[in-house]
Amino acid sequence: MMKAVLKRELIINIKNLLIWSICVGALGLVCILLYQSMKGDMKEMADAFSNMGAFSDAFGMSTLSIATLKGYFATEVGTVHGLGSGMFAAIIAINIISKEEDGHTGEFIFSFPMSRSRVLAAKALCVAVMLVVFTVVCTVFYIIGFKALGEDIPEEFFVFMGRQLVMNAEISGICFGLSSLAGKNRMGLGLGMALIFYSYDVMGRVIPDLKDYLFVGPYSYANASEIFTDADTPVKGLILAAAIFICGIVFAFWNFNRRDLAS
Amino acid sequence: MKEKVIEISHLTKSYGKNRGVIDVSLQIEQGDIFGFLGPNGAGKSTTIRSMLGFLKFNEGSIRILGMDSVKDHVEILKQVGYMPSEAWFYDSMRVADVIKYAADVRGIDCSLEAQKLCERLKVDTRKRIKELSLGNRKKVSIVCAMQHRPKLFIFDEPTGGLDPLMQKKFFELINEYVDEGATCLLSTHVLSEVDKHCKNAAIMREGRLTMLESPHIDDETFLSFYEEDE
Repeated sequence: MMKAVLKRELIINIKNLLIWSICVGALGLVCILLYQSMKGDMKEMADAFSNMGAFSDAFGMSTLSIATLKGYFATEVGTVHGLGSGMFAAIIAINIISKEEDGHTGEFIFSFPMSRSRVLAAKALCVAVMLVVFTVVCTVFYIIGFKALGEDIPEEFFVFMGRQLVMNAEISGICFGLSSLAGKNRMGLGLGMALIFYSYDVMGRVIPDLKDYLFVGPYSYANASEIFTDADTPVKGLILAAAIFICGIVFAFWNFNRRDLAS
Repeated sequence: MKEKVIEISHLTKSYGKNRGVIDVSLQIEQGDIFGFLGPNGAGKSTTIRSMLGFLKFNEGSIRILGMDSVKDHVEILKQVGYMPSEAWFYDSMRVADVIKYAADVRGIDCSLEAQKLCERLKVDTRKRIKELSLGNRKKVSIVCAMQHRPKLFIFDEPTGGLDPLMQKKFFELINEYVDEGATCLLSTHVLSEVDKHCKNAAIMREGRLTMLESPHIDDETFLSFYEEDE
């Protein structure tokens, strides 16, 4: 029975998934392919970018040279994928519960012989499946890019994609919790949150006083420039991410089970 | 003595400071077609939504088919066919997919019954939900509520939007299922429906329930319940 709800959720969301994964993946692929045509001219640009103080720190260009494929991938594709995947994670999770009440389909789905928890579990599983598929599709696009350039895939690439998936899970966990509040469309809030998290990370790398609190944001442990320079695993950030993710999910189940459903 | 299908005892539900229903008690026996009347906002939908577990009520208890509405919520919904007043589905789905989805979630094959219902109600299963009028969406909702042959039907203003022929067919279907042992709670504003089809009836006003001695009441008596409400 839960399978039927999961299948329906996946069918409803598949268009979103295809659009976002192909757009973000293709954009990343184009960025990678552009590397070859820019490679010759990038030496001077890389020197200039690495000496731009806070700006260089914020985008990791003080530690990585964008004249190398690794550095180029981390700064360019890292930004594209980080923003794109964060926004995708937010928008799929922020409406997945509330859309039933917002679209007046709540009475249809909740009159089936399933507990609210099982319906929510199917929806949470749908978000998880979509995030994994999104990550796999983007990974395939980027690998095609590396292969097209005849370059080896950097070891850190898979760590980066894995951490991005964790970051997506954290954002979607928060949004899933928010989606359990009384039903209305919160797409703007979801997108705004993803952008705020990203901005917080950029600001945290520029403003010295914020650096100690950088780990609070989900982008801290998924930062491409740190991963590609083999920085230490940000354990604090990852533990906090797991805690926030669990809180978001638990809140969604607790809140949705205790409240009245709108018609 | 017939089995009590619905037993509501001292049900009270409020929405913060706003009234929902107050001290509602109601019993409906198996085989009944029970008319549930009352002005808009009187508490009919609140009572129904409390029965189905959509609302968390403050006081009282509800037993359906001998089961506790809170504890045995899922088991109860297996035996209930519910048609909400607004028949909303996922816009992009085809009618056939909605009907099959409703059966799949219940984990049963209802294809034969669904086909029979679609033929009798003239439901075009190839259309998408977004292409349907209110009346046609209501027909899809009727099929979803009936295809699993539940023991209890709960209809919330079912005939709004249905043409007279479909209304006739709808009540024919209800009577057939009731003859086979089902029970029906019919929430409506249409007195003639209650007069013609119901065996018992009650009316709600300002959150309180009054049992009617007979479902066959005249227009003036019926309207007096509405007027006093203003």
